[in-house]
Formats: sequence, C-alpha cells, structure tokens
Amino acid sequence: MKTRLKISVWLFWLLGLGLLILLGLGAGVIVFWKGLSVTHLTDLVPWGLWITIDLSSIAVSAGAFSLCAAVYLLGLKRYQPVARTATFIGLIGYTMALLTLLMDIGRPDRFWHAVVYWNKHSLLWEVTMCITLYLTVLLLESLPIFAQFEWLKKRWPKLAGWMSRIHHYAPYLAVIGLGLSMLHQSSLGALYGVLKARPFWFRPDISVLFIISAVAGGMSLTVFASMLVARLSRRFRVDDTLLERISFFIGWTLVLYLYFRFWDALSMTYTYQPGRTEGLQLLTHGPLSFNFWVGEMMLGVVIPMVLLINRSTRENSFWRMLALLLVVGGVVAYRWDTNLSGLMIVLSYLPGEPVVEYTHYFPSLIEILSGAGVVAYGLLAFSLGVRYLSVVDHGAEDAEAEEMRKVKKVTAEVA
Amino acid sequence: MVKPERLIIALIFALLAAGITLFAVRAQTTEPTSGISNSNCMACHSDIATEWQSGSHGQSLSDPIFAETWQTQGQPGACLVCHATGYDPATGERQAEGVVCTACHSPIPANHPKENMPIDKTPDLCGRCHSDPRFITENWMLSAHYKRDMTCSVCHDPHGAGMKSVTDAAAASPDASDLCANCHKDAMQNFPTSKHAEAGVTCVNCHLGFNVGKADVTDFVASHKAPDHSFIPTLDTCNKCHASQMHAPGAAMAAAAIAVEESGGTPTPSPTPVATPIPLVSNQPVPVSPFGFAGLAGLLGLVGGMVLSPWLEKLYRNFNGKEERSK
Amino acid sequence: MSQPKLNRRDFLKVVTVGAAAVGGAQAIRRAAASEPIPSGGRQWAMVIDQSLCNGCGYCILACRAHNDVPPEITWNPVLEAGQVAGKETYLPRPCMQCSHAPCVDVCPVKASTYRPDGIVMMDYDRCIGCRYCEVACPYGARSFNWKAFIEPNPVVPEWGQPEVERRPRGVVEKCTSCYQRIDRGLSLGMTPGVDPDASPACVVACPVNARLFGDLSDPNSNVSKLLQARPSYTLRADLGTGPRVYYLPAVEEYV
Repeated sequence: MKTRLKISVWLFWLLGLGLLILLGLGAGVIVFWKGLSVTHLTDLVPWGLWITIDLSSIAVSAGAFSLCAAVYLLGLKRYQPVARTATFIGLIGYTMALLTLLMDIGRPDRFWHAVVYWNKHSLLWEVTMCITLYLTVLLLESLPIFAQFEWLKKRWPKLAGWMSRIHHYAPYLAVIGLGLSMLHQSSLGALYGVLKARPFWFRPDISVLFIISAVAGGMSLTVFASMLVARLSRRFRVDDTLLERISFFIGWTLVLYLYFRFWDALSMTYTYQPGRTEGLQLLTHGPLSFNFWVGEMMLGVVIPMVLLINRSTRENSFWRMLALLLVVGGVVAYRWDTNLSGLMIVLSYLPGEPVVEYTHYFPSLIEILSGAGVVAYGLLAFSLGVRYLSVVDHGAEDAEAEEMRKVKKVTAEVA
Repeated sequence: MVKPERLIIALIFALLAAGITLFAVRAQTTEPTSGISNSNCMACHSDIATEWQSGSHGQSLSDPIFAETWQTQGQPGACLVCHATGYDPATGERQAEGVVCTACHSPIPANHPKENMPIDKTPDLCGRCHSDPRFITENWMLSAHYKRDMTCSVCHDPHGAGMKSVTDAAAASPDASDLCANCHKDAMQNFPTSKHAEAGVTCVNCHLGFNVGKADVTDFVASHKAPDHSFIPTLDTCNKCHASQMHAPGAAMAAAAIAVEESGGTPTPSPTPVATPIPLVSNQPVPVSPFGFAGLAGLLGLVGGMVLSPWLEKLYRNFNGKEERSK
Repeated sequence: MSQPKLNRRDFLKVVTVGAAAVGGAQAIRRAAASEPIPSGGRQWAMVIDQSLCNGCGYCILACRAHNDVPPEITWNPVLEAGQVAGKETYLPRPCMQCSHAPCVDVCPVKASTYRPDGIVMMDYDRCIGCRYCEVACPYGARSFNWKAFIEPNPVVPEWGQPEVERRPRGVVEKCTSCYQRIDRGLSLGMTPGVDPDASPACVVACPVNARLFGDLSDPNSNVSKLLQARPSYTLRADLGTGPRVYYLPAVEEYV
C-alpha cells in the first residue's frame, strides 16, 4: 500500500513538471517565432526575469565548485558524496542558464559568436567563455555519475567503465573548476559593477557580494535537496553529520555576506549622488522594498543565519531545511533586486544636474511561463537523477569503492 | 562498380539541372543598365515615382482642367515651357510630357547610382517655372526664411508637389499651418487662445494671404497666382476681413468674425509634438501599494503562525495552568 | 595509492594558487585597458547650435528615411532642454560617437568597434542581441529591434531614400553618423560637412542650419573654427566617455 502510494506521488510529480515544461516549451516556441516583442522588456529595461533566472541558476550551481574544492583541494574527503550531488545540481543549473540565455539573446542562432569572436575587454565575453568551459568541466565531472546508470552499465559496460575512470582526474577538474568559477561568479556581479552609466551599480563590491551569495546559495540548495530526497524516500541514505557541518559553514558565510552587504548599503547613503541615492531608495522604500527587506534581508539572510548558527535549530531537520530554502530564495531575490534597481532608474543626460526618472517592469505571461518551464526542467532533471543515477546517496560511493576493491582483489589473484 | 549506362543518365540529369538553373538565375540578375535615361528612373525609384505621378508635377500636362484649357486656347507653346520638360520653342519639340525627373535632376551622371543625381535646391531652379509674375520667387526673397538660407524643399515636397508632412495628421489636413506650427512652436504658445484662433483663422490665412477652399481653379489668373511667400502680412491682409472696421471698430468686429467663420476657415491646429518622448518614465517610482504590502505580509504571517503554533499552543496551556503534555 | 597523500595535496595547492595569481594578473592587465583610442587622420565631430534649433524634427525624419529606421526607433531624438529668455530650447541627441565608448568595451562579440575616423561602427552580422551595450550607454543612444521591420517606411520617399540595409530582428542599432554618405562622398572627392551629399542626413535636413559636421583634426574646418569661436559643452562630460558631439548652448542674444 505504501509503495503504491509513493509511486503515484512520483507520477503526480512527474506529470506536474511535465505540464509546466510543455507550457514552457510552448512559450519558448512563441519567443523564437515572434521575437522578444512578446516580453515586457523595453529599451529602458532590456534585462528582466530571464536574466534573473539565468543569474540565479548559475549562483545556486556554485555548490559544485565550492564542495569539489573542499573535497579535492582541502582534502575534506568525507564530503565527497555531497560534492557528487552538488556537481549534478551544478550541471543542471548551468544548462538551465543556457536555456534561458538562448531565449533572451536577440539572435539565438548566433549563440556561438562569443566563442568565435573574442572581445577580451568585455566581462560578458569572459563570463560566456568561463561558462562554456566550466560546463565542459562539469560534464566531465558528472560523467562518473552517469556511469552509474544501470541501463548504461548493462548496454555499454566498457563506456560506463571509461566514464567511471574520469573520477581519477577529479582533483584536476576541481582545480580548473575552482578557477573558472571564481572568475565568472564574481564577473557576473562585475557585469553590473563596471558600468559608469549606472551610478547605483558602479561600485567594486558587487562582484564580492555575488560570489559570496553564490557560495551560500549553492551549498544551501545542495544540502536542502539532499535532505528533501532523504525524507521522501528511504531508499536514499544521507549522512546527516556532513550536511549539518555544511549548514554550519553556510551560516557563517551568511554572516560574511551580511557584513559586506551592510557596508555596501550604508556607504551609499552618504551624500546625494543622482542615480545612486534613488536606486537605494527604490530598495529601501520603493517598489522593490518588500523584496529587499523581507525577501532579501529578513528571510534571505537574517533568519537563516540565526537558524543555522544556532545549534538547536541547525540540528532540527525542519528548521534547517527551512533556513536553507530561505537562503536560496534570498539569492534569487538579491539578483532580481540588483538587476531591476539599476534599470528602473533613468538618469537624464541633459546638461545640468542629472534628473532622475523612473520606469517600471513586470514580466509578461510568456516570460513567466517560459521561465517556469526552465525551472521545471531543472527539477525534472534532478528528480530523474535522484531516481536513476542515485545522485543523493551517501552510501553509493562506499558501494562503488567496495566494488573496485573486489575487482582489484580478483585481478590480483588471477595475476 | 557503377554501370556506365547509369553514369551517363546521371550526367544527363546533372547537365539539365545545371543548365535550367543557369538560365533561371541569368534571367533574374539585372545587369546595371549602362545608360540611365528619363524612362528608367522609375525602375529603382518606384516609390518616388508613385508619389510624383499622383502629384501636381506628375500631372502637369495630363491634368484634365489644364488639358481642356490648353486645347481651347489652341495649344499655345508658352504653356509648355513649364508644363513640359525640355521644351524648345524654336522647334516645338519637348523631351517629355509633363514635369519629369530630368526637369530638375539633370545632367545625369555617367556613374549613377554611385554618384548622386545633381539637384539645385535654390529658388533658381524652382523659379524657372515658379517665378513672378506667375508665381512667387521675388516675394520669397523678401522673407526671413530665404534670408536664413532655407530652400523651397523645406516646406514643399518636390516630388509629390505637396506640402511636407511631419506627422500623419498633418498629411491629411489641407491646411499647411501644421507645418508652420512645427518650427514656430513659440508662436503657437499664445496663438491658440487668441481671438483670431477662436474665429478659425490659421497661419496661412494671414501670412500667405491664402484662403483654403476659396480659389477657383478654373480661373486662369487665380490658378497661376500663388500665395505671397514673403510671409509678411500687410494692411491688405487685415482688410480681407476687417475692411469694414478700417475706420469704425466695434460692432463690425462681430460681423467680420462671422464672415470669416462662414467662409470656412479651418480650426487652428495644435502644435505638433516632435520632441520624442522617452517611453514609460515618470517622476516618481511606481507607488508601493499599501494593500499589496499588507497582503504579502499577511501571507507571511500566516505561514509564520502555522510554524509557531505548536509552541504558542503550549504557552497558552501553560498560562492557563493545564498539565503539560508529555512528548 | 602508493604516493603519500600530503605531496599531491601540496602540489595541487601550489598549482592552484600559482595559476590563479598568473591568470588574475593577466585578466586585470588586459581588462583594465580598453581598445586604443583612434588618433591621427580625420576625426569627425558634430556641432549642434541650440540657439538655432527650433525642435522641428526634420533631422529625425531625414535620419529615419536615409537609414531605413523603423518608426518605433529614433536614432536621433529631439528633447526639450528648458527655456532660455522665455523661449523653449531643444537638444537633438545623435550617437555621441564616444572616444571611450562604454558600448565598445562591453560587447561580448566585438560587434561595436572604433573606426579610425572616430565613428563607432556596428556590425549587425555579429551582434547577438544581448543588449549589454544598450544597458551600458549613458545616453540611451542604442535601440534594440524587438520586432522585425517589414512594413514600408512611412517617411520614405518624402524625407529621403534608404541608403543602408534594414536591420533584422534581434540586433541593436544606433546612429552611425551616416558613414555611408561620408565614405561615398570622400570617394567622389567631396568634403563631408561642406558638400550635402557627403554629410549626415540630419545635418543636411536641418532647415535652420543648426547642425554642422566636419573634421576636428583640420584646424580650418567649419567645426574647428566654430568651436574655437564659441563656448561649447558635451553631454555628461564627467563620465569620461569623450563624446564627439558638441553643443553650443542657447544664448540670449541668438535665441
């Protein structure tokens, strides 16, 4: 009875995601066919919901590089199973970002131009190249995960074996991944930070904030996903001590983030600068204020920080999961706020002191549907990974190592 | 090994396909014509040709009223000096019927379209036909427009021979006052509330001495008399309406106003906004809806309350002195 | 594993730190300096006299006609710029053709480049439509083609005829100072700014001659002499973009 109930929940979940993906596909087709005029993007706000989803997907994929660096470069071997989950999430996240970007650029057929035509002065070029290269690294790092697929092991055992052996190079991939990730996670923030035309964005610490929030958000998503999967099915075992330690680290990362964010915001309140002061006002008591104070600060940083640093709440799985989910939400909220606060301010360039005017933006239905479709795809990919590739299974590695030892023993005996 | 017969058949097909394609493609590529003459301007400039054909220049010879009048007057050659292109009075030959491209754009450069067609935008060229006493060049030279180096084509479209349109609305209105208002925005600040504007007087009525809808086009003299392009109103202009008040203002003012209204003066157009507005901006950010805030906060309160309810319940029971329930 | 773990870990740490240091230094060095600013040869500049401009908008229409710009996009809008001596003044805003253009720096595919004569060119075949240049431009001079422009252009042929190809949907476009007219005029021996056929359409169309165009590197050109004779300003000079469009402010005696 219980198993039957579980299967139908799984089916229900799949169907729901499938429906969202279908809707998203339909919306995506409309976007490719009719062009970007079906969005509510304008020449004043050319970047909207899709860019937020793109930035957020990359941010929550940051668990991959941080955990892999911890395992292979800092020698914290025991976190390897969590790193495995994080790598898979990272792969999904980056593909989500690519899908969203494909819709967002005006000429999707020219997506390859950045790889062929270089502009070394452009941060966006650097981000594109890093993402392309890092996606390759993630793919290589994920191949051992795909090698666990039972059907693959039966059909093409040699290929599966070859894929598994890539695991040998994991440390080198981790190094490359760390370098690439540190470059582009902060460059995504610097995309905004280098624009002198937008006084609210023009500061050097946006890149620091982006990478810190990415590390916090990426690890949070990984831990949250692991905990959720372990609760949904007894089949997947997780080592709660590992997850609890990572949550502790996330808590202190949030402290660091809050520290930077506090000084970042405070420094902008001193003296009036046209564009910058208004941008801050939009966040503190303008149309973005709810998202900033409640979404970003209270729910996104302060409450999770307290919950994760405090031992009793951290060890309670409900509070921990809630805190981690809130962190991910806060990461998304931060990127939405950063993107819109700069674009909603229209600075006049007429002589005299620049006059500030405001514009507004709310995504259109097509944008929302296609964005939801991409998110649903991510959830579906992760669900399938959990089910068929055991990405959340802290016992899997042990089982694999056991098998390798058995094989070695047999070959040694034969020799 | 491929059979030789199959190869031959394949080759025949290939040659057929290549040949047909070559033929078809050749037929489509237009070799640039070595000589550009009068007739083939339209091959490239079809949109200009369309405008020209429906305008006065294009219909200068074919216009029914002109054609009839010309016939009844015995086809005088003097008319063709303006109503045809390249008319030679000595031989009676003309290059083309009506005012065609080469009437103004000549000589045609050998390497056109690389080199532009020549055009003289000064009143000298337009004045060849549009000259005093029939038309207006001497008056024009008195105007401030001429003194500021403006040409006829600032207001007049030389191809369609109409007035230039700066907005769609202006194209529809028969009165050129829209165009005046477009540059003379400062004058339009006060004029719309004036008594003249209320009476239906427009820029062209006074500054060109021109009453739209009044000229009788079958009248030879009237149809060859262009409005005064000096743009300087004279006493004559005022007297067109206020003659009765010349020495007796007052009651006659009303009569004069009515007379103007009845003659069908057009209403004063509003200044055409050309300054391009930036879309979607305002001076204030989108106001934060207090209800929206309250609603969202309420939802959060709901969630928070549900999460905290076990503890709150316990607190309540403790406060009421009930026994603690063991977990 | 036969090798002791410590050695490999140390090696990896050293490699990481070293690679990061070298990479970081390279990145900073290359990212800091922008493309070299073109110098020498002709340097085109535009001068707009605000005392003369009456906001008629002929320049907008001529530009739209000669460059086949869709009606939703304005390469050169005319903005209201306040009153001087009780009279409204206007400010036409073409692309500033900055010598330190933010749009050139940020384009990921180098679709925006400097020409040696100072014009910032757009390569519509390279542009991927990411709109970063649109976000980066302080003057809002760039417009994205949200729709394909397939209808006939309403200002053609009354205000001019298209001299360049229509842009497809999904690319960003901007004022190009009618480089096509300048280049063709130069090849025919004309002088841009003096000969109408070699000058930008907006300059030619202005009925009150409020716009001038010429070679700033030539001390005897119309623009050089005018800028020497009268005070001028550029827009947002504080940003350091180095615009090449100079405005002569509306002064009471001329207005």
